Amino acid sequence: MSDVVLEAKGLVKHFPITQGIVFKSKVGAVRAVDGVDLHLRRGETLGVVGESGCGKSTLAKLLVGLETPTSGSINVRGEDMVRLKGAALRRARRNIQMVLQDPYTSLNPRMTVGDIIGEPFQIHPEVVPKNGRQRAVQDLLDTVGLNPDHINRYPHQFSGGQRQRIGIARALALKPEIIVCDEPVSALDVSIQAQVINLLERLQNEFGLSYIFIAHDLSVVRHISDRVAVMYLGKVIETGHDHAIYDQPTHPYTQALLSAVPVPDPRLRGHRDQIVLEGDVPSPANPPSGCRFRTRCWKATQLCAEQEPLLQVRERSPHPSACHYAEIRDVVHRR
Amino acid sequence: MDVLPGIDPRAPLLEVSDLHVEFRTQYGVAKAINGANFWLSAGETLAILGESGCGKSVTAQAIMGILDTPPGYVTQGQIKYRGVDLLKLSENERRKVRANRIAMIFQDALSALNPVYTVGFQLGEVFRKHRGMSRSAAKQRAIELLDQVKIPAARTRVDDYPHQFSGGMRQRVMIAMALALDPEVLIADEPTTALDVTVQAQIMGLLADLQRERNMGLILITHDMGVVADVADRISVMYAGRVVEEAPVYDIYSRPAHPYTRALLESIPRLDMKGQQLSVIRGLPPVLTDVPKGCAFNPRCAYARDACRQDPAPPVYQVSQQPHRTARCHFFREVIGE
Repeated sequence: MSDVVLEAKGLVKHFPITQGIVFKSKVGAVRAVDGVDLHLRRGETLGVVGESGCGKSTLAKLLVGLETPTSGSINVRGEDMVRLKGAALRRARRNIQMVLQDPYTSLNPRMTVGDIIGEPFQIHPEVVPKNGRQRAVQDLLDTVGLNPDHINRYPHQFSGGQRQRIGIARALALKPEIIVCDEPVSALDVSIQAQVINLLERLQNEFGLSYIFIAHDLSVVRHISDRVAVMYLGKVIETGHDHAIYDQPTHPYTQALLSAVPVPDPRLRGHRDQIVLEGDVPSPANPPSGCRFRTRCWKATQLCAEQEPLLQVRERSPHPSACHYAEIRDVVHRR
Repeated sequence: MDVLPGIDPRAPLLEVSDLHVEFRTQYGVAKAINGANFWLSAGETLAILGESGCGKSVTAQAIMGILDTPPGYVTQGQIKYRGVDLLKLSENERRKVRANRIAMIFQDALSALNPVYTVGFQLGEVFRKHRGMSRSAAKQRAIELLDQVKIPAARTRVDDYPHQFSGGMRQRVMIAMALALDPEVLIADEPTTALDVTVQAQIMGLLADLQRERNMGLILITHDMGVVADVADRISVMYAGRVVEEAPVYDIYSRPAHPYTRALLESIPRLDMKGQQLSVIRGLPPVLTDVPKGCAFNPRCAYARDACRQDPAPPVYQVSQQPHRTARCHFFREVIGE
């Protein structure tokens, strides 16, 4: 399809576990991301959800080129980012930017806001000529709803929500097509969270941006996403349009995850279909055989231990689901 | 258990009235709490809801008597446990109240546990110090407690260190420690904020079970309106150091009486519906060294009039007698009527 701006195929990232001090030997690997395929269209938001340790942040780093994948490809505008080198890589990287989770630690406290937002222009000097940079930074501040006169202030003079706006302005500086947002609102208060989400949506409409929106808050992801991918232990286990995932989930893990989210409406208390999972997520250094979710799954059989279910459309799952026994169960709306 | 002088078993379990706490910093006096009022009965769950800086954690610290002094000082008010004003007790007496009668669990279980002692040792310490038990008896009690909070293989895990537990299991250890001496009041300060949703569901379920078994009063401090809707009986909403609204959970979600509560409810995205734009509370929460005159929420409020911008702050209005509801807003009738 022509409007696909990013396509990742078979993305794998293993972090080696080594033993020994002088003679290091590899004794295993943390399989943080273990075979992820995804694509993103122009102007679309792909939500990635999953619990801590499922590999969603590693996926974000791979996509923006902060980590090199063990194998796999990332195609942006027909070019494989993994294979690009030198000037071509620098140019390609302009197109995909990132907003980080914690606005308190992701901004250098010793740099002014103008320097922070203008830094991308120093790395990519061809984007804006030197004499136009201050103007460009002020325009960016205005775009994200901050006062352009505050260009010489330091990060500590801003509140959490305003700092996240600075982070967004920095990501916008090079006019990218794709922005990877890694938990952009989870460090913010509820009242501020809504402001930042609305800002992201406005910018998307204004500039035709495509977002990869990574978060653990399923309500926020539902609100902003067109499509959603659910990750568990380094793999995407279910993907589809947001209404497919939220209204007709077919993978048991997605169902459990959704049913665990508290809904802010006391009238639903005791009437919701709540699935409480036992135990914790297994270690990604030693994932279970077959289906990775089988150790916590109430549907698991011998087949699940022997054969890994592929992410595909199934008889009872109209959208791709990696479960042998995929079946629709609406856990969110059931009363 | 030592007997507190003046204790009255018929008096309310916990009653906080007109509590004021201030922090004396080099940048000025920050009034963290400006008159908080609420009460708690046995077996009941009271949620204290608010955003960062609203004073909800400081309230908990003041009740527990673990406020950092200096810079924090309780300047006014009463915290009555069964009729005994805790603020008038000596430090020695308060230590006996803590854990024995009022216990607390914290948000970050990893930093609340000591990394260099085993979990069993830390749990057993409660029994050794407060009950004078021997080491082996204390360890036995620790195993029983770990069992009660449903930690699998408690007998072997009792000798593990905190870092060997997962986040959810650590929070269970914290709960076990808080419940060791059968307190009547448990304060849970953001107990599940650091946890994933599936683990959050486990922990909230466990807390509810334990509360029912022991008929304990639970104060749940949180910013998560979803968790509150699931477990609370009554809610106190805090803003800039004041309880701005107090009501039973069903009433507050269907008919909020304070503009802040209303705006908060409208600004959260919901899992079971896909809305268009989220409504936004404009502006920022106030800095506590410089709280706006009159109602602290007035610069962000859609209902604000001149009366809201002038001192004194709105008094505690009785919204309804049955059920008991209060709101600190001059125009609560207008807010609730819509």
